[in-house]
Order: sequence, then structure tokens, then C-alpha cells
Amino acid sequence: MLVIRRIFFSRWRQKKRKGILLVILLFFVFVRLSKGSLYKDFYYFISKPFWPGQFQKEILINSADQELLVKLNQLEKDNKRFREILSLQKVADSETISAAVISRKNGSWWRQIILNKGSKDGVEVGSAVVGPGGLLGRVSSTSFLTSSVMLLTSPESQVGVWIDRLQVNGLMVGLGDDYPKLIFYTKDVDIKIGDFVLSSPASTLLPPNIPVGIVQNINKDNSQKYANVLLLGRPQAIDWVQILKVKI
Amino acid sequence: MNSFLKNNRPLISFFLIPVVFLWHPNWLGILGIQPYWPLFWLLPWSMIYGSMNGLIAGLFLGLILDALTLSNNFTQIPGLILCGIWFGKVKKSDNYWVGHFRYGLIGAIGSFLCGLLYFLQIFIYDFLNNNFFVIYPSIKVILAQVFLTAIFAPLFCSYLLKSFKIQKNKNTMKIF
Repeated sequence: MLVIRRIFFSRWRQKKRKGILLVILLFFVFVRLSKGSLYKDFYYFISKPFWPGQFQKEILINSADQELLVKLNQLEKDNKRFREILSLQKVADSETISAAVISRKNGSWWRQIILNKGSKDGVEVGSAVVGPGGLLGRVSSTSFLTSSVMLLTSPESQVGVWIDRLQVNGLMVGLGDDYPKLIFYTKDVDIKIGDFVLSSPASTLLPPNIPVGIVQNINKDNSQKYANVLLLGRPQAIDWVQILKVKI
Repeated sequence: MNSFLKNNRPLISFFLIPVVFLWHPNWLGILGIQPYWPLFWLLPWSMIYGSMNGLIAGLFLGLILDALTLSNNFTQIPGLILCGIWFGKVKKSDNYWVGHFRYGLIGAIGSFLCGLLYFLQIFIYDFLNNNFFVIYPSIKVILAQVFLTAIFAPLFCSYLLKSFKIQKNKNTMKIF
């Protein structure tokens, strides 16, 4: 009798164990499908005491100066064009949300930052994120309290940009290092080292003319011309960013 | 609260792995690259509970870490599952120094395996998209990760192994 009872209980325990395992598996699948939103919100609370302060370093001031220079350059050109044609492409009104960087991965496989503003604050997937210097990336996912930004250096990042001097469009692709590759659609583009790269007015993903970087070196192969870009916004040093809520 | 913390060390340390993964402390890394944190937990867990449990833990860790990264095309699950199975077959060494050295070596090989499997996914993805320029940064990431994992594995793994062993002994005592 005792043996039968023992077998019965051991089977019941085994079944119970499988059930628990299934529930745990379903929980993790839920976490995976929700893009870890529960976890990120939890991380929001525990990382709160360690959020960055208001002070930025010298490197950021330099980046901000460069950004202003590029913007000024662009505004002057826009102004000229206004006078000439009296109908410049309309830049949509944008609203910005300031956010602190609470998690940063900028050296390994994953090039992303997590910000302390989420869907509660009106952050939407696809919004552009800029820091001192220029464009950093785009919001890829949001949780209630946080948002995750895929950096321009991520191997999965692809954005449309243009060289403002030549007004030639290209595609900037992340390579997993600090210098994304800028691919041009035509081979005979007269780009030079030091040319400014801005977000393209033709892009459907980003607002136009946000400073992105400077052409660092130029390469050519049989089919296309490409350049490596030194980014103006440096995610490794930035603690505060602006999320652009833009209707393009 | 204290007894809860003491009695659920494996569970608590499991849920701390993604937190450290997100935290990404730069002062513990080289060139912005971190050790491969999930292996520090997976190695002692699999050594104590065996390959099958290692496989399941690898799957769960992979699911949770994939959720925290923005890569929709790549996954960490295959590497962690393989490591979980392999770690389960590794026997503990009685020698104090040899044991610690082995954690470092096994951690380094595991990290290399995970890195390689992840790199292969990126490589295939980029091959299909005509982009062949990720090889150098990928090699840099793999080497730095292997080095850091090998350095920190003896420290974290020996502590976690001891703590999991105590927990397991306690649970066995309760059954009897």
C-alpha cells in the first residue's frame, strides 16, 4: 500500500514538475515576445539612484560646438535656397523629449542604449534620438517606462543620409564598430574627406538635415563607392539625449 | 526576507544576470566589451544539476537576454544551449587551484563558442546583404569577451558553485 502511494506521489510530483516547467517556459516566451519590457521597467527602478548627473564633459562641449557649426552651415544654405526658389521642402514641426541614458552597450555585439522615458512619456517606436553632436539612432522598442535605441553603429542599423555639399543621397550602414559605412548609389560621386553627412530629406525614417557625422575615409570597389563616417554624436560619453517626436 | 534570500540563491542570481547584462559596467570591460555574463551562472548550475537542466537554463537565459537586445535577426540561444549541455558533462575537480583554472578555461571556450555562433549569424545575414565589413570588429569582440570571461570566471563561478551546492544539499536534506 505504502509502495503504491509512493509511486502515485512520485508520478504526481513528476507531472507537477513538467507543468511548472511549461509555465516557466511560457513566461520566458512572453518576456521574449514583449521585448523584455517587464525587465526593462524593473531595471528602471533599480538603476534610478545611479542615473547620470547634469554635468557633461569637455568632449561633449566640443561635439556640441561641431553640431552648431554644421547646423549654422546648413541654415545658411537653406536661407539662400529660400531666397532663390521661395519654396523649401517643409520640415515638420518637432517636439523633443529629454531623457537620461540608463543603460549603454556600445562596444559589444549589441549597440544600443536604454533611456528613462517610455510610452508613458509619449515616446514612439521609430523616433529619432539626438545627443550633443548629432544623430545617435532610432527608438526600436518602448516599454511603459523605458525606450531602447538602436545606435547608428549597430550592424542592423540602416539610415538614409546625404552629403550636404553635393546633395547626394547614400545609405549609412552600421558595421559593429565606431565608424559606419556610407554607401553611394552612383560610382562617380565627388566626395571628399571632411564632408558633412546629414540625415537625408528623402528619408522616410528620419527628419531631414540632422547632423550625423564627417566623412573620414573614402574607398572604391568595382560596383560602388563608399566612405567611413566619424559620428558627431558619441554614445559612449553621452548621458542625456533628446528624442524627436516628428511627423515626417 | 533574509531566509528568502538565503533559500533562493540560484533563482535570485539567475534574475541578476540580465540586470548586470543591462548595467554593462564599463570599468569591468575592455574597449567597451564585457565578459559574457550568462556563462558565470550557467557553468556552476550545469555542473551541479547536469546537462538536461543546463539545456533548459541555457534556453531560458537565451530567451531573456534576446529580449533585452534589439537584434531581431540574431539569437544567443544556440550558444547558451550548447554550453549548458557541455557544462553539464564537466566533472568537478577536487584540487583547489586546478578547479579555479578550469573554470577560467571552460568559461573562455564557452564564451568563444557563443561568440562564434553569434558571429556566424551576423556573417550569414551580412553575406545575404552584400556587406563583408563586420569581420574585424567581430573578431575584436570575440577575443576581448573570451579574455574577460576567462579572467572573471574563477571568481564568480567558484562562489556560485559553492552557493548552489549548499542550496542543493539543503533541498536534499528536506526531502529525506
